[in-house]
Amino acid sequence: MNNKLTKIYFDPYLFFSICLLSILGLFFLYSASNADLSIVLRQSAYVLLGFLIMIAASQPDPDLFRRTSFLFLVFATLLLGITFIFGPEINGAQRWVRIGPVSFQSSEFLKLSLPIFLANFLGDKKLPIQTREVGITLIIIFLAFFLVARQPDLGTGLIVALSGIFVLFLSGLSWSFIGGAFVLLVISSPLIWNVLLEPFQRQRIATLFNPESDPFGAGWNIIQSKIAIGSGGIFGKGFGQGSQTQLNFLPETKTDFIFSVIGEEFGFIGVFLLLSIYFFILMRCLYLALTARDRFCRLVIGGLSLTFAANLIINLCMVVGLLPVVGMPLPFISKGGSSLMSLFFAFGIITSMATHKKFLPQ
Amino acid sequence: MIFEERQVEKNNFSSRAIFSFLFISVIFLIVLFQVFSLQVSSYSAYELAALNNKTYSVPIQPLRGEIFDRNGHVIVRNIKTFDLITKPNSIDDVESFLQLIKPVIHLTESEVTQYLEKFKEKAFVNKELVLKKNLSTEEIARFGVRQFTFKDAFIGERYRRMSDYPEIFSHVLGYTSKIEGQDNLLSHLPQSHLKDAELVYANGLIQGVTGLEHTYNQMLSGTYGKRVYEINSRRQLGKVLEVESAVPGEDIHTHLDISAQMSAAKALGSRKGGVVAIDLESGGINVLFSAPSYSLNKLANGMTVAEFQEIITNPSKPFFNRALQGRYPPASTIKPAIAMFGLTKKLVRWEEEIDDPGFFMLPENGRIYRGWKKGGHKNVNLKKALLVSSNTYFFKLAYQSDMQELASYLASFGFGAKVCGDCFNEDGAFLPTPDWKYNNLNIPWFTGDTVNIGVGQGYLVATPMQLANYASILANKGRALTPSIAQSVLSDAVIQNNYQVSLGNKDWINLHDALTGVVESDLGTARSIRDLKNFKVAGKSGTAELVSLDSKEAYQDLRGSELLRDHSIIIAFGPMPNPKYAVSVVIENGESGGAVAGPVAIEVLKSLLNE
Repeated sequence: MNNKLTKIYFDPYLFFSICLLSILGLFFLYSASNADLSIVLRQSAYVLLGFLIMIAASQPDPDLFRRTSFLFLVFATLLLGITFIFGPEINGAQRWVRIGPVSFQSSEFLKLSLPIFLANFLGDKKLPIQTREVGITLIIIFLAFFLVARQPDLGTGLIVALSGIFVLFLSGLSWSFIGGAFVLLVISSPLIWNVLLEPFQRQRIATLFNPESDPFGAGWNIIQSKIAIGSGGIFGKGFGQGSQTQLNFLPETKTDFIFSVIGEEFGFIGVFLLLSIYFFILMRCLYLALTARDRFCRLVIGGLSLTFAANLIINLCMVVGLLPVVGMPLPFISKGGSSLMSLFFAFGIITSMATHKKFLPQ
Repeated sequence: MIFEERQVEKNNFSSRAIFSFLFISVIFLIVLFQVFSLQVSSYSAYELAALNNKTYSVPIQPLRGEIFDRNGHVIVRNIKTFDLITKPNSIDDVESFLQLIKPVIHLTESEVTQYLEKFKEKAFVNKELVLKKNLSTEEIARFGVRQFTFKDAFIGERYRRMSDYPEIFSHVLGYTSKIEGQDNLLSHLPQSHLKDAELVYANGLIQGVTGLEHTYNQMLSGTYGKRVYEINSRRQLGKVLEVESAVPGEDIHTHLDISAQMSAAKALGSRKGGVVAIDLESGGINVLFSAPSYSLNKLANGMTVAEFQEIITNPSKPFFNRALQGRYPPASTIKPAIAMFGLTKKLVRWEEEIDDPGFFMLPENGRIYRGWKKGGHKNVNLKKALLVSSNTYFFKLAYQSDMQELASYLASFGFGAKVCGDCFNEDGAFLPTPDWKYNNLNIPWFTGDTVNIGVGQGYLVATPMQLANYASILANKGRALTPSIAQSVLSDAVIQNNYQVSLGNKDWINLHDALTGVVESDLGTARSIRDLKNFKVAGKSGTAELVSLDSKEAYQDLRGSELLRDHSIIIAFGPMPNPKYAVSVVIENGESGGAVAGPVAIEVLKSLLNE
């Protein structure tokens, strides 16, 4: 450990619990894809690549991320711009950017770079944070949200905005400001509902409260998801035995609704164990944030892990019928390359922030 | 930053981080609670929903019960035929399949197009499809030899409902036809599944539409079975999860007698009319025949449009069930009932004689009511009046009667009401009352109306079924039975006759004696049938006038038009003195009752008595 050249920075708790999640995810995916081995093999490759990215991202000193945070943000923004100009339109949305053989969702980078940049920006500010700095931060957050939301990808846009807001909150935003913003949000909610939301988004929210109003249309997904989870019971129907999954009643089993597959085939016990792993990861992140070496590291760990938590919670709440349907994968489990890469990248950064200690207090 | 500031910042961060993670923990608990309520609290509801999602029950059609006559001979049966059935799902190339099978099975152009039309849909949902119906024995043999080449086709048994006596039992048995829309007997599966039902009959889901097939439809139908398939979200059938066989319908044993029914049909020949015979012990209906008839088998198993049009437009109305719905004036056959009313009300006595000059003059207005014999029967008492069918005697008796009382007395013989326990669409015909006439025709009841009733003319009409029932009450000396076709009658289909006609025993003996004389004595109006048999028969003939005329000469002019000729009627029971069967015969436009309808009644009685 004293030999600096051979030291590999990694956090065993995070590493092994993510390992466990990823391997379980491959099993779940096998069942969710109706035993399509090619999908599982492809995903395994992503997982392996993800671990490499995570380990690689853990090695540099946090200072590197701090110094390059502005460049990183600019790079992520540029990617969004490129997507906007060159990206193919899929299902009426431009979300993907293609570089050579690799295509990925450009907004993933923003999810990482925004909190890091803001952590750096706010990391040396005196408490309480001045209105001017809050204003600048909010403008940056809004611009980032706007860029993603106009793709249009409201779900990711909200996550990006949240990732910035988390950092702002953790860095000491005054409570009176938070309270004021909350009041403002409540007052302006009719405006948001009527002007900002697309009709299909309003429909999704309406469906949440009354899925039976259109059981074969808008309500189908949520009804079938609840049936899948509910019919799993305590012990589940067994691996590959979920009728909702295997007979294709459940939609999007490989991506957004993979949690329902787990609920159906592994029951309440399976769900409880899965949620325990997630909870353990989050608690570990909290511990790491509290013991990190400086304010920047604290803010980055806190911001990234809260973003991860938000991502997870939105997916969970959606499939169990507590939130309207938004496209949001289940972290480390759902099929998909770019979201998985950015997750591993984020945990790599978290590990870096948590494991590099300074010998002398600043 | 100085050290204290850093400490303040760190504490501030820590409290906010802990706050955030507590918040997250709370949401985790909410999610966990929601999952718990789905998987544990509401488990059974969601389990059922998932089960409903993944299973599809195909109803299996039950085989209908068969119908037997009183001697255990089958009247309507299920005859097995063979259809060529395919599994489109496993046929990759339908064109080459058809080319391959064409030399084996003869296929018409329309059969091929119909098949191709439905092929894709059935293949997608993995359901069977009939290629050819009703295979010939040669086709079955040819296919049997080459079966190994056609793994995706098989010969399926499909039944047709057939009677061995299609023409003579059509009215009483009725026919079955394809169910349109829903079948109320399918209770444990949604009606929408009927369209996918596994068929047992070649012509699909069938139900009784008329006759016994309708009255006893529920009993005959049996209970649907089901084959439960696994099904995916695209409605494709998968493996079979559960099979529940159909329960065949119950057989029905009737009182009908095939040979007697055949005798009635044969005796009636090409004439129009109705015949009903009743077993005096059980009230069972042994014969219920209406002519002209039609082929039950063709109607139930498909007839051409031309054939159907022919029946519909036939002026003799073959679909019309004369035995149950034909309304005929009872004519002189009503006289025994009028006589009984007179005896009961003490208006007449057996020995009392009156003079019959051949007509009756209504005292009120001098209107003349003529008898059938010019010059009359001179001195007649009640017995002679019945034997020679003296109109004058009954005009006079009716004239003395109160119509209200007479109507309710006639009602006790079943006139004006349905009498059969399990007949389909029986008509109650009509028994007039003074109130009815005043309320509906706006004219009061005249004594002349009652005088007409005395000889069974006027507003009074009855069906052959009612006449047979009336005859059975006379034969049984007042005991009224509920006539029924089936041996065990459905409880909800029963019309329970609870009337009893009472008369002194001596009067009954005299009445039976007189009615026997109608057939057996030299004076009797039906003496022409006396020698057709070697047992004694009691009866009363009648000739129902369709047009009221004053003279015989006028009727001779009328005869030219067949449809205006008198109806020939007889009620009879025998063998006397201990009768076993009662029978009624009406022959439309047959004229003289005893001579025309009489032989038909005798043939039926002989057949029932195995003579």
